[in-house]
Amino acid sequence: MLGALGEKLKAALKKVASAVFVDTKLLDELVKDLQRALLESDVDVELVFQLSERIKEKARGEPKAGITKREQLIKIVHDELIELLGKEKKELEIKKGPYKIMFIGLYGSGKTTSISKLALYYSKRGHKVCMIGLDTHRPAAHDQLQQLGEKIKVQTFIDKKEKDPLYIWKKFEEQTKKFDIVIIDTAGRHDLDKNLEKEIKQLNKKIRPQEVILTLSADIGQAARSVVEGFHNNCGITGIFLTRLDGTAKAGGALAAASITKAPVLFIGTGEKPQDIETFDGTTFISRLLGMGDLNALLEKTKIALGEEEKEKLEKSLEEGKFTLLDLHDQISAMSKMGPLSKIAELIPGFSKVKLPKDLMQIQEGKLKRWHHSMKSMTKEELENPEIITSPHIARISKGSNVPSGEIKEMLKQYKMVKKFFGVTKGKGMSQKDLQKLAKKFKISL
Amino acid sequence: MFKFLKEKIKKAVSAIKNSITRAKEGEAEEKAKEEVEKRVQEGEIKEKEKPTLIQKIKRKLTTFSLNEAEFDKVFWELERALLENNVAILTIEKIREDLKEKLVGKNVKKGELEKTIKETLRKTLEEILLDPFDLVAKVKKGKKPFVIVFFGINGSGKTTTIAKVANLLKKNKLSCVFSASDTFRAASIEQLEHHASTLDIEMIKQKYGSDPAAVAFDAIEHAKARKLDVVLIDTAGRMHSNINLMEEMKKICRVAKPDLKIFVGESLIGNDAVVQAEEFDEKIGVDAIILTKADVDEKGGAAVSMSYVTKKPILFLGTGQEYKDLDVFDKEKVIRSLGL
Repeated sequence: MLGALGEKLKAALKKVASAVFVDTKLLDELVKDLQRALLESDVDVELVFQLSERIKEKARGEPKAGITKREQLIKIVHDELIELLGKEKKELEIKKGPYKIMFIGLYGSGKTTSISKLALYYSKRGHKVCMIGLDTHRPAAHDQLQQLGEKIKVQTFIDKKEKDPLYIWKKFEEQTKKFDIVIIDTAGRHDLDKNLEKEIKQLNKKIRPQEVILTLSADIGQAARSVVEGFHNNCGITGIFLTRLDGTAKAGGALAAASITKAPVLFIGTGEKPQDIETFDGTTFISRLLGMGDLNALLEKTKIALGEEEKEKLEKSLEEGKFTLLDLHDQISAMSKMGPLSKIAELIPGFSKVKLPKDLMQIQEGKLKRWHHSMKSMTKEELENPEIITSPHIARISKGSNVPSGEIKEMLKQYKMVKKFFGVTKGKGMSQKDLQKLAKKFKISL
Repeated sequence: MFKFLKEKIKKAVSAIKNSITRAKEGEAEEKAKEEVEKRVQEGEIKEKEKPTLIQKIKRKLTTFSLNEAEFDKVFWELERALLENNVAILTIEKIREDLKEKLVGKNVKKGELEKTIKETLRKTLEEILLDPFDLVAKVKKGKKPFVIVFFGINGSGKTTTIAKVANLLKKNKLSCVFSASDTFRAASIEQLEHHASTLDIEMIKQKYGSDPAAVAFDAIEHAKARKLDVVLIDTAGRMHSNINLMEEMKKICRVAKPDLKIFVGESLIGNDAVVQAEEFDEKIGVDAIILTKADVDEKGGAAVSMSYVTKKPILFLGTGQEYKDLDVFDKEKVIRSLGL
């Protein structure tokens, strides 16, 4: 739900773009709008004021030749926002043997869940990953890690009886050496707790992890800065994992706080399930906020979800002008691998501007599942050549799959639409207009 | 709570004072001179007493009134102090409106400015923050078993809070049973089980992935059969924006018919506190709030924001890792700590 901050920032910039004169009055207004938008998204009050001063200062300078005052102002704001909220993308360089990643954070900020997400992320990409549980404080923390490990099929090292985290580490250290990546879970704590502070410092010294990742919740308020600084002073954070981004929080506080430590935001958590993880790129993120979409992120997702083979098959059948229900089926299952529709829509340029009805995406997801069921009740012939499906067919499919016939008809309609749509864009690539048209049709079809 | 806010208010008030009192001094001086002149002519006072008397009357007469633009300028200091203390913008708007009503276009005496601002702020906070009811007394008076459901977003501290509340009830000789209705998160059942065995409280559970409402139903039936006093239902953390999970929560409430619905929120949350509390209140209905992790952050703005949107009292503050770390929310103490 990072869109809300984007809306405000966009509105502020739009004012600049459409103003008749670029003068001090406009500048004051812009700065005020920006302040409000940033404060509402919990950016540290002091940082907001520093930013406003810098924008005012820079805007006083004369623009370079060939650039209008207006363009200069928009660029200043864009650059300052990137400086404040996010840097360029950084990927972890996994080095030989073993690469140790330690997670730290406040209680309830999502450490264990994020660890399982990261473990799945790297094991999907061919690394040999294991997790080790050093949270000896919270009840059942070990069980949680173990259950998640079983779910994502990643080896987990735990010792439920031992109370000393350092002892657990020493016990398993030899065994973890056969893995490429070792992800370390620690107890939740806050920077004011002296005992836990001592413990984490000691762990950091003994384990010597290559990466120390802080989990930070997107809805954190003005405390963000002191929390991040506290942890940074103790352990030296090398990266940040931003969690709870599936809520309504605007994440400004967390992002700005991350920015002070110079530790980049590496990943974001966008849901409850292990696959709900995305890499984070500050620059494209700001562009996304300002409504420019992020094709790169989408492409990266499709790459993983659609195996190369499936992709070739789809491309081939599209080229031949053949698009069957089976393809739609493949697409739907590929999409469910990518994660919820709402997240994918956010990544497509233009979609963030098209106002989709609030609940559309969630309703659509349930529907996709039922379509999937109905396809399982079809014959191969029907799947390959949906044009032959008539109402007696539909009645039979409906009976077989327990999906209302209305929904099956709707799916066929959708199929025709998608087929037509691919026909339209074949060879041209998708233009923004096409996408908006598609979005509109989606709405109508519901 | 409310770290530094006391000082900030003081600073803001004096900044407001310094920036405006000059405005009407001239006018007051004129009036004072006139008055003294009149009295000299009437022979009431002597010529040489004039300057001191003018000063005296002037001080008395110096009032000021603010127009809206001036008010916005001076409120800014206060707004900044509140923002730094994590008070959500929506709540600040309410404080702004209340203060505006008291100050804009009215003649306020210079000496009374600080008092006026503080009094208005106090009144506003008194209106927003509600006195918590006595949970133990309410449970004792209520029907048996008394059903309490706890909900909130992921990681806000529901399970720990339930253990703390159960500890409190048990100390007051009330028998409890846990319903492990978080059947989603890994090891949530084991976590609650750990608390159950430490506190020696019974727990009703099913497998992971089973219907949370069914677990709650079983727990209530169990309490009825064993004549237990309280059923405490632990639910999975959920995002207020997730329609399906909110529907699931509604179902739990339909089945369990809770006597008390407690929203467990985190005190670290910023502006999103308003949205979270509002959505949960609108969709499920919040009877009371417990604010966790109050020991991590001492700013306290979330308390004000959540009370403001839900109009429901904050019962307790979670202030640590131990079972005893559950403080009754003391409204008067909070207001007093602000020096109001």
